[in-house]
Amino acid sequence: MQDFMTEMSTLSEQPISLCFHCHKCTAGCPVVAEMEYGPDRILRMVQLGERERLLQSRDIWLCAACETCGTRCPNEIDIAKVMDALRMEALRSGIAPAEPDAAKFHKLFLFVVQTLGRSHEASLLIAYKLWTMNLLADMDSGMKLFLKGKVPLLPKTIKGRQQVKRIFVKSAEAMAKGQPSPTPAQEAK
Amino acid sequence: MAIPYFPGCTLSTKANGYDRSGRAVAQALGLEFQELDEWQCCGATFPLATDNAMALIAPTRLLRQAQEAGGQVTTLCAVCFHVLRRTQNFLQGHPDALERINWFTEEPYLGNVRVTHFLELLRDQLTWENLRAKVAQPLKGLRVAPYYGCLLLRPQSEICLDDPDDPHILHDCLAALGCEVITFPYQSECCGSYLAVNKPEVPQQLAQDILASAQRHGAQAIVTACPLCQYNLDYPQQSVSGWALKPLPVLYFTQLMAVALGLPGEVWGMEEHIVDPLPLFAPYGATVA
Repeated sequence: MQDFMTEMSTLSEQPISLCFHCHKCTAGCPVVAEMEYGPDRILRMVQLGERERLLQSRDIWLCAACETCGTRCPNEIDIAKVMDALRMEALRSGIAPAEPDAAKFHKLFLFVVQTLGRSHEASLLIAYKLWTMNLLADMDSGMKLFLKGKVPLLPKTIKGRQQVKRIFVKSAEAMAKGQPSPTPAQEAK
Repeated sequence: MAIPYFPGCTLSTKANGYDRSGRAVAQALGLEFQELDEWQCCGATFPLATDNAMALIAPTRLLRQAQEAGGQVTTLCAVCFHVLRRTQNFLQGHPDALERINWFTEEPYLGNVRVTHFLELLRDQLTWENLRAKVAQPLKGLRVAPYYGCLLLRPQSEICLDDPDDPHILHDCLAALGCEVITFPYQSECCGSYLAVNKPEVPQQLAQDILASAQRHGAQAIVTACPLCQYNLDYPQQSVSGWALKPLPVLYFTQLMAVALGLPGEVWGMEEHIVDPLPLFAPYGATVA
C-alpha cells in the first residue's frame, strides 16, 4: 500500500514532495478568500498524509483550475492537477463533496450532453434549479438573459447523439467493472 | 481555402454575438470559417488527473472530425481552445491513451490535428500589418483594456500562445485597429469561471476588482476572447448595487474588429450585452443602422 502523497503524486503526475511552502500559489489564488486552507496548506496536508481531512474539505471543490498557482510555482508543481486528483479520490472513496451543489452541476452537465450531444444553458439551469431546490435565486437575472435572447428556449441536437450516448454507456460499463481506462485487449476477452 | 471551425456550445447559444462577429470578420479578412459537421460539446474542462482519460473522449471526437475536415481546426471560445489544444498535446505524448479513446469512439483519430485560436491565425497567418491595412474605420482614441483571463494563457508549457505574465496578443490586435490599448494589473487574473453557478458571490467579487482596476487605468471598455469572462464581468453589472463603478462595457475582440473593418451593424452582435457598448462608437460615426 502506497502512502497518500505517493498516490496523489502518481495520479496528478506532480512532484508534490518538492513544495517548500513559499506561498506564491496562495498569494495569487483568486478564490482563496473562500477556502479553509488554500493551495499551499493543501499541498502540506498531502505531504503529511491527512487524507480524510483533505477529501472532506470544500477547498478541492472551489478550485476554478485557473492555473495561476501552477504558473508561478518555483518547483513547477501544477497544483490544479493535484486538486483534480483529490476530487477524483474523494468521489472514488464515496466521500460526499463538501460543496454538494458543485457536484450536482457537474452531473447535470454530463446528463445534458449525454442527451443532446451539446450543452444547452436553458435545460441545464432549469434542471439545476429543480435539483438544488434553489428555485428563486437568480430568477430575475435568468429572465433578463432569456429576454435578451442569450438563452434560446429549445435546444439543438446533433445527428451523432446516438453515438455520443453509446460512448457514455460504454464508459459507465467500464467504470462499473472498475476499469476506468480499459484497453482494447481487455475488451476482446 | 475555408478553415475548419469549431464554435462550441456557448457560441451557438449565450455568446452568439461572438460567433456572428467572428465569422463575419474572418470572411472579411479572407480566412473564412467552415463549421465542423455535427459537432458535440468539447467537455468544457480539461481533465487534469492522469487516469481520467475518459474525459478526453469528447474533445478527441472533435479532433477526429477536424482530421476529416483537413487536419486543422480553429476556435473563438477560449475554453474550447484550451480543452482542444491540451487534449491534442496530451494525446501526442500518450499513444496508449489515444488507443483506448479510439476504442470508445469507434472512429480512429491519428493524433496530428493542428488546433489554433483565431487570434493566432490573425497574428501568424494574416499578420498585424495586414490587419492594420484593412481597417476602414480606425478606432483612434478609444481606450480599451485587454482582459486575457486564464484559459488562453495557462499553463504556458501546453498552451504556448503568449507569455502568461506579460501577454500582448490582444494588445497587438487592438492596436492594429487604432485603439489606445491599456495595460492593467488584473489583465490575467481569473474571473471565477464556473463558480458563477454555485458560488456566484466569488465571481462577483472578482469582477468588481477587475472592473474597478480597468476603470482606474482609464479604460472605456474591457476586451476579452472568452465567453465565460464576458459573462462574469458583464452580467453582474446589472444587478449588483453598491459598486463604486460606472458601467463598463465588456466586448469580444471580434466585435471591435467588426466595427473597425467597417462591417454592417447586424454582425456586431452587441444587442445581448448587459452594458450597452454602442455609445462607444458614436464618435466614429459607426452606428447600427
